[in-house]
Amino acid sequence: MQSRRSFRDFSLVIALVVICAFFAIVSPQFLSARNLSLLTTELSITATLAIGMLLVILPGNIDLSAGSGVGLLGGIASVLVFEHKWPAPLAMGIALVAGVLIWSFMGNLIVRQKIPAFIITLGGLLIFKGLFWLVIHNSTIPIVQGGQANLYSVLTTFYLPPIVGYVLAALIVTALIFAKLRSRKARQGYGFAVEDRELVFLKLFLAAQLIFLFVVVTNKFHGVPLSAVILGLIAFAIYVLTTHTPFGRYLYAIGGNEEAAVISGIPVEKVVVASFSIMGAIVAITGFMQTAYSGASTTTVGDLMELDAIAACVIGGVSLRGGRGTVLGVLFGALIMASLLNGMTLLAVSPEFKFIARGAVLSLAVWMDVRLGR
Amino acid sequence: MAFTRPRKSIAVCPRHSSQIDAFKEPPMNPVVLQADNITKKFPGVIALKAVGFDLRSGEIHGLSGENGAGKSTLIKLLSGIYPYGSYEGNFFIHGQVAKFRSLADAQNAGIAVIYQELALVNDMTVGENIFLGSEPRTARGLINWHKVYHEARLLLQKFKVNIDPGEPVAKLGMGQKQLVEIVKALSKNSNILVLDEPTAALAEHEVLILLDILRDLRSRGIASIYISHKLDEIFAVCDRITVLRDGASIATLDTKQTNKAEIIKHMVGREITDLFPRRRSKLGASTFEIENLSVADPHSGDCFLADINFSLRAGEVLGIGGLMGAGRTELLMHLFGAWGTRLSGSVHLKGRELRVWKPEEIIREGMVLVSEDRRRYGLILDKTIGFNLSLSSLAKLTTKRLIDQGLEFQKNNHFFQSLRVKAPTLEELVAKLSGGTQQKVVLGKALMTEPLVIFLDEPTRGIDVGAKLEIYEIINRLTDAGKAVLLVSSELPELIGMSDRIVILHEGRIGGEFNRDEATQENLLAAAMGQRRVILT
Repeated sequence: MQSRRSFRDFSLVIALVVICAFFAIVSPQFLSARNLSLLTTELSITATLAIGMLLVILPGNIDLSAGSGVGLLGGIASVLVFEHKWPAPLAMGIALVAGVLIWSFMGNLIVRQKIPAFIITLGGLLIFKGLFWLVIHNSTIPIVQGGQANLYSVLTTFYLPPIVGYVLAALIVTALIFAKLRSRKARQGYGFAVEDRELVFLKLFLAAQLIFLFVVVTNKFHGVPLSAVILGLIAFAIYVLTTHTPFGRYLYAIGGNEEAAVISGIPVEKVVVASFSIMGAIVAITGFMQTAYSGASTTTVGDLMELDAIAACVIGGVSLRGGRGTVLGVLFGALIMASLLNGMTLLAVSPEFKFIARGAVLSLAVWMDVRLGR
Repeated sequence: MAFTRPRKSIAVCPRHSSQIDAFKEPPMNPVVLQADNITKKFPGVIALKAVGFDLRSGEIHGLSGENGAGKSTLIKLLSGIYPYGSYEGNFFIHGQVAKFRSLADAQNAGIAVIYQELALVNDMTVGENIFLGSEPRTARGLINWHKVYHEARLLLQKFKVNIDPGEPVAKLGMGQKQLVEIVKALSKNSNILVLDEPTAALAEHEVLILLDILRDLRSRGIASIYISHKLDEIFAVCDRITVLRDGASIATLDTKQTNKAEIIKHMVGREITDLFPRRRSKLGASTFEIENLSVADPHSGDCFLADINFSLRAGEVLGIGGLMGAGRTELLMHLFGAWGTRLSGSVHLKGRELRVWKPEEIIREGMVLVSEDRRRYGLILDKTIGFNLSLSSLAKLTTKRLIDQGLEFQKNNHFFQSLRVKAPTLEELVAKLSGGTQQKVVLGKALMTEPLVIFLDEPTRGIDVGAKLEIYEIINRLTDAGKAVLLVSSELPELIGMSDRIVILHEGRIGGEFNRDEATQENLLAAAMGQRRVILT
């Protein structure tokens, strides 16, 4: 188990390095500060949705409606801002609440009517797509009024000042070191196996280097993108939720063995509905970022994003049968998906081959899940 | 079913070579299978150490040993799951070295293995299941359904199994499914039958039918290896018994020349004097009462449990017995909020009527269930011991909504140690543990919720003698601490040995209630069969 898992992690790193090396050689721009900054924004969008997807997949469900939802909820906010002249924060708040309500409704259908999530969310995929086009009446709705920036539009265009980036990086690294040392000491106290001192140091050192490298590189363009901060906050919150709360444990338990979870006194229905409600909020946030990144609500916003999110999960080691997967793994999976898409765009690969490549990567990831999964 | 067969006595194990001389009886059936010096190593563990035994045609050979003694590993080698070359030593089938690389190789060599978990497709008929994967074809390559059912009928008749081949498997009871599985295995012209705990899920009368069929097969020259924790069965049906302990074959004994105490001594390496060490605890006030409970089956809507009345005092073990299908498990599952629709009746806990219906609420009230099927209803198998232990108690282990990992560790470690869970640390995966150890984890999870009333459904099913004793000791400690225990068991000696009082269910109703002095096997069985008047003489 242990050796197999580390091989799996290792294979992910290799895949990432190979993909990046390939694009770096074929297109030198790939590693430019400008492109890496763009890649960061794209990653933030993909990864945010994928982390929400993790919550849904852990108890053994799936959400196929996420992509349509991204379009719809982003579209609702754009229409409120552009056509009804609402302030952006209020418009986004309304769309967020709508997301939570719609997704908790789907969650309720799934647990109370015992309809598989696959069917409910497949219905959602089509219904939300239709609603989306109705809401934006098949046109392009800008997200700002009269060319001024608002909270909505800055989601993917605001960058932290360089100095703030450095301070943030320093804080994160310090927190990481403290957290790691504390948990190591606690584990030692419990008599559990701990990693060697050298390995801990190496891992922390590597993580610190990557964080600072990230800040240095993005600062060479405009600074750390706001979207990366949003991703960081959501990833941290979901990490804490999945690893340090009863709710998180319940997600894994339900995915691992739902009948045993019921008998163990886990409120299975409430937990599943809650996981969908959180997914609704995350779909809304992803919708705002994706729509802002596109510059406007158009009929294609959010297309196939649910599949990228599922692919990111599977690549990152999440089991589609539930019960297995981590936030860190999903971030990695999303990084691989985002790099692939970004690199192909850079190479001006035609859409037909982009589709084929995405499909191939998804299939490959599922195949790996089956081969290495048990 | 009369047949004559020379009684034979043989001991391959060199330690007992003296017995060979003692019981020489020349006419012996030929050896069909011989295991010679089988050694199997896993990284860090030697699962089997130079195991040897032989199996003769027309013999039922019992294989006994505690969990982890190596029985399952031996069967996996024999059935080709661990291929030839992954172990040392040899299996000889009819004198030839067996080189199985897959399950199919072993099947082709005439070995049929019936596992604890049945491998029948519920939605198909008996006939379809028997020929699954080897359906007779018509000239055009389509399945010849007439032939499927005709031959299935002949096979079932041949083995004296009274089941209609057109019946869907889903409608059969556990015992009948087991028989279908055996017929299916024998349809492939197997002459060596391996049964791994075949009666774990069977009621007493089903066991009797199964044993009869095994005897019938024996008279047809089929050799069987019979693995069971139930020594009664082994002694009832086996000709010889091989005992494994810690991966080594300790002894092969002629059933006629030995007794249970000797087998148990070989299994555990020490003598166990008292199989059921029940201590009577001081009885307290009545904590749990059921009045006029009637429950409907949620699928059919028919009344399944009717007019159930009993009460339970603090410090008391109330045993619940009955045949398979009498409603024992359903009763516990219903009381726990996991089965059935209440038609009438009430449940009182500490004098207060319970008005909650979900397991999570019932656990909060102070009741907890340890299910008979620990893999299905008890454990998250691919998680750690610690994850499973604290799962039902997490809400009590939080500070500011986050799990307090120090507190969680303390609690987990308390049960890990006090229940003597056999594993290196709390971080071991539950799937890797033996049945008895898994059962302790399920028990620990239940006990951590600090219940007043504990429902134990077949708590010792499929676990070895040593672990059983530990479970009994835990029951004693619980009642000493003033808890009330509801114990469901199919094994009458266990029920009699561990209960202070026994209620027998018969077809969803109470068939009789017995205190300790009245509870004999005969009385209980009569009540379970619905003959309540007979026993009250």
